[in-house]
Amino acid sequence: MSRPNVLLQVAQRGGSLVTFVRKLWQHPQGRLGLILAGCLVLVAILAPILAPYDPYDVTQRAAKGLRPSWQHPLGTTTTTGQDIFSMLIYGSRVSLMIGIGTGVALAFLGALMGVMAGYLGGFVDNLIVRVVDIMLVIPTLPLIIVLTSLLGRSYFVIVLVFVIFGWTGLARVIRSLVLVLKNSNYVKAAELAGASRWYIMTKHILPGTSHLIIMNTALTSAGIMVAEAGLSFLGLGDPTAISWGKMLAEAQGGGALLFGAWWWIIAPGIGIFLSVFSFMRIGIVMEEVFNPRMKASSSIYKLFKHLNNTYLDEVFRSMEEEESVVREPPDRSDAPTPEGCHG
Amino acid sequence: MADTVLEVRNLKVAFPCPGGVIRAVEGIDLDIHRGECAALVGESGCGKSVSALAIMKLLNTPPAVCRVDKLWLDDLDLTHLPDRQMERIRGKHMAMIFQDAMTALNPVMTVGKQIDEIYLRHSRLSRREARQRTIEALELVEVPEARSRANSYPHQLSGGMRQRVLIALAFACVPKLIIADEPTTALDVTIQAQVLDVLKNMQRVHRVSALLITHDLSVVANMADTVYVMYAGKIVERAAMQEIFLEPLHPYTHGLLASVPRISDERQPFVQIPDAVPHPMRKPTGCYFHPRCPRSNDPCRQRMPRLEGPDDGRAVRCWHPLRQPHEVRS
Amino acid sequence: MKRSYVIQRILYAVFIFFVVLTLNFFIPRIGVHDPAERYYPPQGGMSTIEYEIIKQFTREQYGFDVSAFQQYVRYLQGLLRLDLGTSLRSGSPKVTALIAQRLPWTLVLSVSTLVISLFAGLLFGTVAAWKRGRWQDTLLLNASTVSVALPSFFIALMLSFYLGFRLELFPAYTNPNMVAQFDWSWDAIRMVFTNAALPIMSMSLGGIIGYSQITRNSVIAVTNEDYVVTARAKGLPQATVLYKHVLRNALLPLATSIGMNIGGLIGGAIIIEQVFNWQGMGTLFLEANSTKDYPLMMGIMLFLSAFAILANLVTELLYVILDPRVTVGDKR
Repeated sequence: MSRPNVLLQVAQRGGSLVTFVRKLWQHPQGRLGLILAGCLVLVAILAPILAPYDPYDVTQRAAKGLRPSWQHPLGTTTTTGQDIFSMLIYGSRVSLMIGIGTGVALAFLGALMGVMAGYLGGFVDNLIVRVVDIMLVIPTLPLIIVLTSLLGRSYFVIVLVFVIFGWTGLARVIRSLVLVLKNSNYVKAAELAGASRWYIMTKHILPGTSHLIIMNTALTSAGIMVAEAGLSFLGLGDPTAISWGKMLAEAQGGGALLFGAWWWIIAPGIGIFLSVFSFMRIGIVMEEVFNPRMKASSSIYKLFKHLNNTYLDEVFRSMEEEESVVREPPDRSDAPTPEGCHG
Repeated sequence: MADTVLEVRNLKVAFPCPGGVIRAVEGIDLDIHRGECAALVGESGCGKSVSALAIMKLLNTPPAVCRVDKLWLDDLDLTHLPDRQMERIRGKHMAMIFQDAMTALNPVMTVGKQIDEIYLRHSRLSRREARQRTIEALELVEVPEARSRANSYPHQLSGGMRQRVLIALAFACVPKLIIADEPTTALDVTIQAQVLDVLKNMQRVHRVSALLITHDLSVVANMADTVYVMYAGKIVERAAMQEIFLEPLHPYTHGLLASVPRISDERQPFVQIPDAVPHPMRKPTGCYFHPRCPRSNDPCRQRMPRLEGPDDGRAVRCWHPLRQPHEVRS
Repeated sequence: MKRSYVIQRILYAVFIFFVVLTLNFFIPRIGVHDPAERYYPPQGGMSTIEYEIIKQFTREQYGFDVSAFQQYVRYLQGLLRLDLGTSLRSGSPKVTALIAQRLPWTLVLSVSTLVISLFAGLLFGTVAAWKRGRWQDTLLLNASTVSVALPSFFIALMLSFYLGFRLELFPAYTNPNMVAQFDWSWDAIRMVFTNAALPIMSMSLGGIIGYSQITRNSVIAVTNEDYVVTARAKGLPQATVLYKHVLRNALLPLATSIGMNIGGLIGGAIIIEQVFNWQGMGTLFLEANSTKDYPLMMGIMLFLSAFAILANLVTELLYVILDPRVTVGDKR
């Protein structure tokens, strides 16, 4: 099967958000991702209820540098005596907000640019492709650092910068799919029927790319969470919020490495890992579900691992010629019996 | 002179996959004599290409599983030959010509180098000598300006030239057996005839046995001595070439022949076999052909017939053949 | 045919560079009327008159006293003389001089990382593809899901903690005397590499797994190609088929991704350099950021972009040699 055909097939499998979630749920790995992501969202929402202490409370001079105990499950910071477990819980808010917020905004912009480039073609396509080429060579992290220092260190700016410089990946993927969809019969039919370009783009082409958009949103959200942690680690995030990246920076600055307070490093690390992992799982499983060829080839190897020899023998035996030595001749009235027993 | 170059007994290939097993080849027997060209004919998906790869032992074990009772190439027993030793046989004693020369040739290597490789592998030649042989081999398959063409990349050659390169590659070591898998299907009709002539000529001149795999009956008529008709993984009819065209015994063979459009009898309706080849995972019970067969009745639906006929002559797998094999004596 | 393709690619690279340098010129001027305000922001306890004087001084010093267009022309003229401007640091060092000072140290990290990731990635990826579906392959798959979800600086912190502080195998922080005392003696070189060990390890891990994945997928895709069957049908031994036919073709997509990664390699070292306090381009950039040294920041940015453009160009041109099919007008 040629690649455009596969893409077209994939596109036609697209559907509503509900079908996506259902398909994810049916896949064990996808279910793991969904459950993890769901738990994280709950933790972020219920943070004030779940956190045993106020993570912003920096006045607990007496409780500095405590080891993990029942009172403080992950100990306290050496510098200000904040409860690390509570900080961990509150940190999920920043990570998820930035990750999901940027992911959704990126999906919007990327899909728009990709569909426009692919469907309108010509000048628009050329322009967008050039812009993508330019974005590719500008070093992302330094640029983000420059822009946050110019525009201020608020999360709004960070999300904005991520969105402005992150849409190129999705746009490229969408563009190549749209180029295929554009030549499909149903789009041609709509064009012949006199539908407007805008109508075709929003009603016919965009739904065909929905699976890619959702998949990409999950994967970029994961990527953005890592990037946000990096920025916060460099001290370039919002200075007022608690985030996992900043916790790691504080741990390093507060001498966690030196004092052997490994829990102080591990805790935010696990937070980052779980959130990124859950979103990546969702994205990867989606790719597997909607890219049947990939799924088929990987499952065959799994199958061979558990292949039962007796089962195979049975299969091969079933292919044998029937032993015809004593055999009821088939319907004599109709045709003469074949004679001789040659093989 | 009736010594057998290729003897295959009960070759089976299955592809286990999620939700079942694809039974691609269900126990086929082949005998090819020295200098003979046998054709394996059938629709796409009937297992003929898989059989060819299985005989070359080129199927990887995931995804395929092969079983064979006997696989002899001339005086070599390949039945249980390990991979390492099989590598010394392939290319030297048995070679293969693939369907699409564009994809069958490495795009980033000059065609000359690709032929050199086979000489360097199977004979103790220096690079220079190997290249000399390569140029000779290309000249034999009528590639003009062989010396300079050897330095071209596959995409720089025309389709016909590429196919000739594949033929040169296959005949490089003058093997005992050539397996040609749809050697002309990817080509234009006019080029097809030329390439087929080259192939036929090479086969006759070197007295190499050949297994020709095709769905094109005109190719069969042009080249083959013996014909095996394959349907859904089983051989359904075996005959000498003229016999099969003059008097097909199996309804499927009959249908195949009838579905070839002929200019001479244009007033006759265009015959075609109804429906399609059964899905390899859901083959019908009884005779695999019965759902499409005009002669089928109850026993056809229940039991698979055997391939019946004299050992070395005509044979047919059918409860109701057009005539019994032993009645046909030419 | 190929000549015109080469020229076309070079011209396109020049065009991209031109756009990037123009952006680079305008970015520090975003949101302010007078760039002098950016270069020397108002400070508390300073009267308006005083600040006006300072701004005037700054304008003259950095050439903001002419029109924006003239400034742009001057900027271009400076670039032609390979002059990226003057840093705001005391002593007014040239940006190029600062970059030249720090670049070798970053290259120690990024080149070693690239070489290690590439070789290990090729090896592991090929093994995983060859042993497809077996434990080697499963291991790679699991390692890649884990490593992608772990930020490199977290790995760096863990390595620094465990191998640096606990086991004391390698220095957990870069020796501050490393740069100053470097004199090309064997001891100095050994010191550089013991100090670089942890940064290189933390940067390589992701690279190794990333390249392994690309190699694996690419090798598997090529293994299914018809010409590999042809090669086997010729009777070539498995190792020869793998080496001469599979890898040669599988490396093509890898080359593209290397080209794209090289550009990001120096910029990507920023966080790791910060973790280990490695005195390279990354820390230079962060220092510039914390002192709002815009000429230095933008100079580094331009340098990194130029590096990325060059790397992409070289990859594209290399492709012409590696893949004989590439002709004029072919797009990737």
